[in-house]
Amino acid sequence: MATRRTRRGGGKKRGKTNLNPLLIGIGTVLVLVLILGSGIFKKGSSVRGLEPTPNFKVSDYRRDGSRFASSGNVYVFDGRVENIETIGNSRILSISIPENPDERLPLLVPGNVHLRVNLTRGDRFLFETTCCTGRAGDGTQVKGVLVVKNVESK
Amino acid sequence: MMKRKKSAIIALTLVPASLCVAQMPVNGGAPTSAALPSSFDASGSSVKQATDDPAHRGETPNPQILGMEIPLMDPSTDTVKYNGGLFDVGNNAAVRARFEKFLQQVPDDTAESKRYRALFEEMLRLTRKSGRDKDYAVGGKTLIQVGKMLYAASDYPADGQQSGTLATAIVSALDVQREVLRRDRENERLETDIKDLLLKADKFQNSNVHRKTAVSVGNAKLGDKMGGKIDSGGDLNALRIAHYAKTAGKKEATQAANLATNEATKIASKINYQSVLMTMLLSRRFDHACIGARVYRFIYRDGDTKLNLDKNSKANEVFTGGLGLPPVVNSIDSLASNMRREVDQSIQAVYGMLARNKLAEATQHLIEAVAIGEYMQSVATFPTDARQRIARYWTLRKRALTALNARDYATVEEVAAKMKEMDVDFDDSMLLSYTTGKKRQSDLAIRNASKALRAGNEEDFNKYITEAGIIWPRNPNLDKGTEMLAKIDEGEPVKDEFRRLYEGKEYRRIAREREHFKIVAMDPDLSKKYEEVIELVMRMDGMLAQIKEVAKQDNSIGPCMAYEKLVEWQKDNEKFANDSEMTLTLREIESNAHDFVQALRDGEACESHGEYGSALACFYKAQCKYPQSTIAKDGIKRVMNVIVKASYE
Repeated sequence: MATRRTRRGGGKKRGKTNLNPLLIGIGTVLVLVLILGSGIFKKGSSVRGLEPTPNFKVSDYRRDGSRFASSGNVYVFDGRVENIETIGNSRILSISIPENPDERLPLLVPGNVHLRVNLTRGDRFLFETTCCTGRAGDGTQVKGVLVVKNVESK
Repeated sequence: MMKRKKSAIIALTLVPASLCVAQMPVNGGAPTSAALPSSFDASGSSVKQATDDPAHRGETPNPQILGMEIPLMDPSTDTVKYNGGLFDVGNNAAVRARFEKFLQQVPDDTAESKRYRALFEEMLRLTRKSGRDKDYAVGGKTLIQVGKMLYAASDYPADGQQSGTLATAIVSALDVQREVLRRDRENERLETDIKDLLLKADKFQNSNVHRKTAVSVGNAKLGDKMGGKIDSGGDLNALRIAHYAKTAGKKEATQAANLATNEATKIASKINYQSVLMTMLLSRRFDHACIGARVYRFIYRDGDTKLNLDKNSKANEVFTGGLGLPPVVNSIDSLASNMRREVDQSIQAVYGMLARNKLAEATQHLIEAVAIGEYMQSVATFPTDARQRIARYWTLRKRALTALNARDYATVEEVAAKMKEMDVDFDDSMLLSYTTGKKRQSDLAIRNASKALRAGNEEDFNKYITEAGIIWPRNPNLDKGTEMLAKIDEGEPVKDEFRRLYEGKEYRRIAREREHFKIVAMDPDLSKKYEEVIELVMRMDGMLAQIKEVAKQDNSIGPCMAYEKLVEWQKDNEKFANDSEMTLTLREIESNAHDFVQALRDGEACESHGEYGSALACFYKAQCKYPQSTIAKDGIKRVMNVIVKASYE
């Protein structure tokens, strides 16, 4: 179940205590450090903390894939690998996502992307993807291709 | 050729219509219907040329009246030979007409007819006896009696004034003989006169001689006394002698003229009389010919009975019989008597054959008897019931002949069967062989025409169908050919219609109206197209039926499978892409496999717009609906290749 990443704090309750403002400031700094630290960790190919993009409908993607390339651009899917097609160094995955069990979503795993997990057919993973528009050899646009950036075992 | 015609015309004036008309086609060669079978032996002509005959080796028959040949029956071939031509008496139009008239006539046995025939019996008896009995010698009384009887017989209408003609010929000949006799007697008288004159001249000549002797030898005194009277008497005698000699000369000249006239008149008279006799013989008045020939020697008593025939004429050959002996008048008697006997025998034979129900043979013999001896008693008195029996058979034979001429072989066979019923001995084998052969020929030509039609060869079709019609115009199978011809006539507009529909790819309509368009098979090019259309439509119908069955098999995969097969077939047969039945079936299947079809179409649409990600998702969707889908699989493969090979930033 894809869920939105939200932070709803209970600071108001703590705010009512009589804490030293210095301590509060230090704590805030620590929190900020932690937040920034987690962001740095994430950029260092860490799959910890991926959450599926909510309300993604494969039918919408089928209708107009390139539309997804311009709205946030990053999509995380919790899906099961139905098929893997290897062409050269690249692979194209066909995954099914729980919200759309009778649909298949195609994902491109380019040859230059090295995954830390071993993709096997029938297993579920978290796929972090970017909807890209590529360019073919003859210059024509290849729109709305979901390119895998990261995969996390589930 | 002109001379031949002339001879025919001359003969026409002398010979009765039957045989005269019969000879006409001979002169001009084969009759107009010679190309068609006109006789039962299917010989192709009722008139056969005597090829060994001089008349047919380019020689012209003698145009003289006695140069014409007389008609002679050849029993071995049932033909009459006349003027170089052989006529089948049963198949000659003129003989047929005359024979039919005879069959419809009542027997000539009236009292008048009996009297007429009695007169001839009597004349024949008298003239027959005259040759051996002095009491009946045709010298005076009997000859006059015969002449009177001939004139009496000429009153009978059926005689056709032939007796009168003969009687007149006899009288004319006798008149000539009397005139000859008168001149002979005159010559005798003249001879006596000449002798007397010569005698008198001799007498005066002698008197003059005596007178001169007396004067010269010693009778001078007497001479002196006479004082010259003696000399004047001598002159007178000389004048008398000259007169007598002149008169005798005149009489001798008259005598010679009489002799010459007699000779010329005799020859002319004989030729005239012989002409009449030959005319009687040619016109088959055998009784007249016999009587005329028998009295000949009593008219011309000089013993010369030689017939004045042209040496090269056929008639001369007939009379001399190739022996080289000169023909005589008695030969006419002999020939005519022989004819009479032949005709009588033929009639007797007819009675016998009728009694045994042999109608075919009886008819043939009666035709011969009528053709030769129409005016003879035995023929003229042939009984009515026998005539009617033969007339019934003759009508059938005539119908068979007409049908044969018209090449109506079915009718010929039908009539032949009836003739066989009437006369079990009737030999129809040759007739049936002929008709069967012709029918088969015609049927074979129709079969060839049919083959030509199937091969689309209109020219051959026309040739064979015409040939079949010529051989057997009433061939019932020709109706089929007529239908085929009608189809050919209708063919051109149909071909145009076919071409229009073919170009418009309206194959379904062509197949639906395949019988209507069948005629285009005659055109080799269109034939291929026609067969192609029919075969493909049939194949398509079979395929559509199968697909419909497949579509019914499973609610989810079946329609998808059917759709895919249909699309594949459509791609392979682009000509039939617009076929109404296919379109209908496709629509039906599309509605049942809507999601699958839609996914495929969306995939193709996305692919065409460069939306390869969406296209791949669409094809995946289609594959989910129908995992064995080839179209989806091909689409996936195609799109994947593009996605993988593209570069992404």
